[in-house]
Amino acid sequence: MNEIVQRVRHLLSTRLKLAKAVEQITDDTPLFGPAGLGLDSIDALELVLGLEKEFGVVIEDRAVAIQVLTSVHTIAEYVQSQGKG
Amino acid sequence: MSSDPLSRLPHGLSFRFVDRILERVPGTKVIALKNVTCGDPHLQDHFPGNPVMPGVLLIEAMTQTAGLLLPDGSSAVLAQIKEARFRRPVFPGDQIRIEAERLGGLGGLHRFTVTASVDGAPAAEAEIVLAQTQAPPA
Repeated sequence: MNEIVQRVRHLLSTRLKLAKAVEQITDDTPLFGPAGLGLDSIDALELVLGLEKEFGVVIEDRAVAIQVLTSVHTIAEYVQSQGKG
Repeated sequence: MSSDPLSRLPHGLSFRFVDRILERVPGTKVIALKNVTCGDPHLQDHFPGNPVMPGVLLIEAMTQTAGLLLPDGSSAVLAQIKEARFRRPVFPGDQIRIEAERLGGLGGLHRFTVTASVDGAPAAEAEIVLAQTQAPPA
């Protein structure tokens, strides 16, 4: 699980323009919304394509994406639940 | 809907930058042509005596080509242009071959990789995100 978390963090830092260094966010920092990193829907698409390339997990449903892309932790959990990583 | 595949584009004729579809796999990949002529209105002043197709219109042609892959009846606007590169200028007499491939999507967003070439030589490339503004009819 820890290795998946590190790969998710790497994905965030390389594919997105984050307001903070990835080292400054916790695994539970909200990725979206003003209380978190403030990512938008285009960032979400970028993340979804990145996750497909990195882990082979496919997310096409918006409702699933909203649940999965909550934080580094929720993404890593989803990757693991899909038997990927 | 008309049998003309280009009628999928919502643009009026004066702002249509795709002339012909060579191949289209719905939702996946499309190859189209755009012929550039010295009669094109935007080339009269870009530039006087030295006509060059504006890079933004090349991007427009690439975007319209990508739009041919959207679901029937939907319309969309540009949401993002990434990694755009212009490899060579495009002149009157050139035939631009544009290839667009859908990389994926989420909600109403669709990401495409698009290349434009003239006589086999790369002219431009970009990753383009379109945001659907109108869902296809149920």
